[in-house]
Amino acid sequence: MVLVGVAVGGALALVAILIPWLPPADSTQAHKVDDVYWFVTIICMAIFALVAGVSVYSVWKFRAGPEDLDDGSPIHGHTGLEVVWTAIPAALVTAISIYSGVVLTKMEEIPKDHRIVQVSGQQFTWSFQYPEAKVTSGQLTLPVNQPVELKLSARDVIHSFWVPEWRVKKDAVPGIETNVIVTPTKVGTFTVICTELCGLGHAAMRAKAVVMTQQGFDAWLRLQKRLATLGGSAQGKTLFTQQCGTCHRLSDAGTTGEVGPDLDKVLPSKSADFIRESIVNPNAEIAPGFRPGVMPQDFKDKLSTQQLDSLVEYLLKTAGKA
Amino acid sequence: MAVQVREHEHVETHGPPPRRGWRRWTAGGWLRVLWVVPLSFAFATGLVIGARKGFGYEPLWDLQVLLTAWLVIVPLGFLVAIGGFDYWAYWVSGRPTRPEDHSGHGARSWKDYFRVNTDHKVIGIQYLVTTIFFFLAAGLMAMFMRAELARPGMQFVDNNTFNGLFSVHASLMIFLFVIPAFAGLGNFVIPLMIGAPDMAFPRLNALSYWLLPIAGFIMLSSYVIPDGGAFAAGWTNYTPLAVQQPVGNVFFQMAVQWAGASSIMTALNFLVTIITMRAPGMSFWRLPLLVWANFATSTLVVVATPFIAGSQFFILFDRVLHTHFFTPGPEGGYVIAYQHIFWFYSHPAVYIMMLPGFGIASEVIAVFARKPIFGYRLMALSLMAILILGFSVWAHHMFVSGMSSWLRIPMMVTTMLIAVPTGIKVFSWLATLWEGRIHFKTPMLFALGFVSMFVIGGLSGIYLGSIPVDIHASDTYFVVAHIHYVLFGGSLFTIFAGIYYWFPKMTGRMYNEFLGKLHFWCTFIGFNVTFFPMHWLGLQGMPRRVSDYADRFGNLNFVISIASFFLGASTVIFVYNMVVSWRRGAPAPSNPWRALTLEWQVSSPPPIFNFDEIPQVVGSPYEYGVRGARHAVMNGDRAEAPEPEKVTVH
Repeated sequence: MVLVGVAVGGALALVAILIPWLPPADSTQAHKVDDVYWFVTIICMAIFALVAGVSVYSVWKFRAGPEDLDDGSPIHGHTGLEVVWTAIPAALVTAISIYSGVVLTKMEEIPKDHRIVQVSGQQFTWSFQYPEAKVTSGQLTLPVNQPVELKLSARDVIHSFWVPEWRVKKDAVPGIETNVIVTPTKVGTFTVICTELCGLGHAAMRAKAVVMTQQGFDAWLRLQKRLATLGGSAQGKTLFTQQCGTCHRLSDAGTTGEVGPDLDKVLPSKSADFIRESIVNPNAEIAPGFRPGVMPQDFKDKLSTQQLDSLVEYLLKTAGKA
Repeated sequence: MAVQVREHEHVETHGPPPRRGWRRWTAGGWLRVLWVVPLSFAFATGLVIGARKGFGYEPLWDLQVLLTAWLVIVPLGFLVAIGGFDYWAYWVSGRPTRPEDHSGHGARSWKDYFRVNTDHKVIGIQYLVTTIFFFLAAGLMAMFMRAELARPGMQFVDNNTFNGLFSVHASLMIFLFVIPAFAGLGNFVIPLMIGAPDMAFPRLNALSYWLLPIAGFIMLSSYVIPDGGAFAAGWTNYTPLAVQQPVGNVFFQMAVQWAGASSIMTALNFLVTIITMRAPGMSFWRLPLLVWANFATSTLVVVATPFIAGSQFFILFDRVLHTHFFTPGPEGGYVIAYQHIFWFYSHPAVYIMMLPGFGIASEVIAVFARKPIFGYRLMALSLMAILILGFSVWAHHMFVSGMSSWLRIPMMVTTMLIAVPTGIKVFSWLATLWEGRIHFKTPMLFALGFVSMFVIGGLSGIYLGSIPVDIHASDTYFVVAHIHYVLFGGSLFTIFAGIYYWFPKMTGRMYNEFLGKLHFWCTFIGFNVTFFPMHWLGLQGMPRRVSDYADRFGNLNFVISIASFFLGASTVIFVYNMVVSWRRGAPAPSNPWRALTLEWQVSSPPPIFNFDEIPQVVGSPYEYGVRGARHAVMNGDRAEAPEPEKVTVH
């Protein structure tokens, strides 16, 4: 029995170590989560090895022949054993609880001089606002090794912010503000994934998260500021990538969404008025093969007149022409 | 008690004479359904149109309002027509109620399974056949999902259909399969096990069954709605998405009401039956663990189910009456309140879907290991501990939801603690195997499969219970893997164990043992290859409820899809075995498993009122290997019986 248990335990340990179960850990929070993960894994492997050892041994050792009509030993219980298998699991889960509680508190400590980014989820796109620079972007850009507080909000339904390599996740809930504390520790490009079912485009609701050096981040922020003041079709392109690209294909913007119609195909030959009407009142005319009600109907509230103008100008100029 | 049973014998054939001519159309049954259902449909339509015209609402024809009225009134019309309320209607209107009328009791031909029947054995089989139908339908939806997920990108279905598939799959599996399948097994077995002639409220029992096909029909029929199709906000139906959804969402809200009402009625019936109808000598400490398990489950159902009913009514009001219970804005709704109310039912529902399985596993393991169940009293008490703790863990589904952050730690502690009574049960089953004489019949294979798979599901639950790990793993495929290890490896394996175990008792015929074992091994292998890799997918970054995913997960998803088709095909073996064995299987003896509990001491299938004379219970139901021990004295052969002894459990 002990042999079976040790064999199962050894096999489990190999499975746990040889297969990379977790993605790379690229934030200080991620390392803390992984510590808890391994702590729980060691306990669970021990318990599973014990259970597997006893059951495999029993099933083999105590199997009855086909004509065997005898009964087993009439053992009704054993108080000592029952106390042991109540007390030890209770102690183990208490240990896991305490460790998890301590780690949770550390993960969510807010350092004094931290940056704040407003994260807004809407069907089916993320936007990131940098209040001190008055800049909004469709890409989350952060400097490496700097703590940041992401303040999450949602415009329509619940979304959930997740970057697997950072091990942080929190729902963005309409009506309230939630937050995520994270300190990315590695320069690189990651994916923000929406993990709460939010409608038809849920599977496509992704954003890019880019971690840069401090100098790179400062330069990026300056560039965004300048872009925001340009207006016209340059602003239209930025808006399009942020708000529309998840669902619509447009080769000029390099977006490949398939939830809504391919704009390279449906927009050429259309007038500016038609494009404007299709944005503010999407159900007015539905492209063949699509359903009414899929596209959010509140862009007339979300976009300013000037933003709408630049978006229409951009689409008129580029659709089907790249 | 005994006197009452003898009375049944000579009134058995008495009943009202069958109605003739046009009066057949007014008697409860399918003929009356044919005209009452269209009538109630017309009545509901007229009511809505009339009211909207009266109040001057535009447009007159509002599909959502009409659907709400239809889904309330037409099912009621159906229940009246099929005869579910006949007895009470007679009583209320002062007509003679014929208290000794057993014309609607027991099955003499297959037709008796299609009418309102008050026999708990008929109702049990009605439940099981109905739930297996919905199980197959929901399983087919899973096959469509896996076909779509076999490759990245979109293959067969669009996003709307895909979201509908997983929403209806989960809703059917939970509300129309696992919960009522256990209710069906309990219905058949509990009165027999405790030595009762029937349930405490046979007419309520019949009514609670007929609510079930209504709920299932509503869930399935949401597919035919032209505008938007089936409900597609997941079985959790979180607002504000639920309010924003097309009208199909109303089908979920109303189906849950009918299925929930059915569970509550059955649970009340189980509770009263278990408390008041135990045979003489059947003390609580002599109850088989299946009865204990259903006692705990029924308490959970009665207390918790009204919460999901309420949560869905409020969503319905938010949709139809434009209230703002859960939609934020100037009128002050609170989105997260919905999740609290929903999970206050839906976490206990996990135990509603698990505790009866624990009971089945205890029966099967003791019988096929030929040993007393290890630590009987602690096994019963751990069920009660799970019942109480089960109400204090709901918010562990909401660790990343943005709820009050202080609530997370206490919920984590209770979540972790609930592993202790669950662990006690697993260790006691293993100890029951120790020094047993284990016979590997199909029910035992499924019971052992259940223990091993449930351990994996329980351990992945520890990961999800720890808040830091949950922050990473929640709403990913890790959760999909976890719930399938608990509800498929746990609940479904025990339902299979229970069906194979009691099949001889229910049908009077033996199932095919070879096909049973083949079914087990195909299911066991297919299940593990399908669901185990999902742990990895989730941890690596694949969220759940998506029709499309990152390319790097393509190969593994392909393997999972192939395995899931194999798993789906294994169900064909089960259905074939059940159908063929029911028609042509070898006749079953009354006690093929040499079990001690009372249902095996009567013929297979049991007599119409279960016992010729109510048995006298004299000992524990699990005294295997104890020389001279007896559980009960049947049919007055007291001469041979030892003095009723005090049960000694270690």
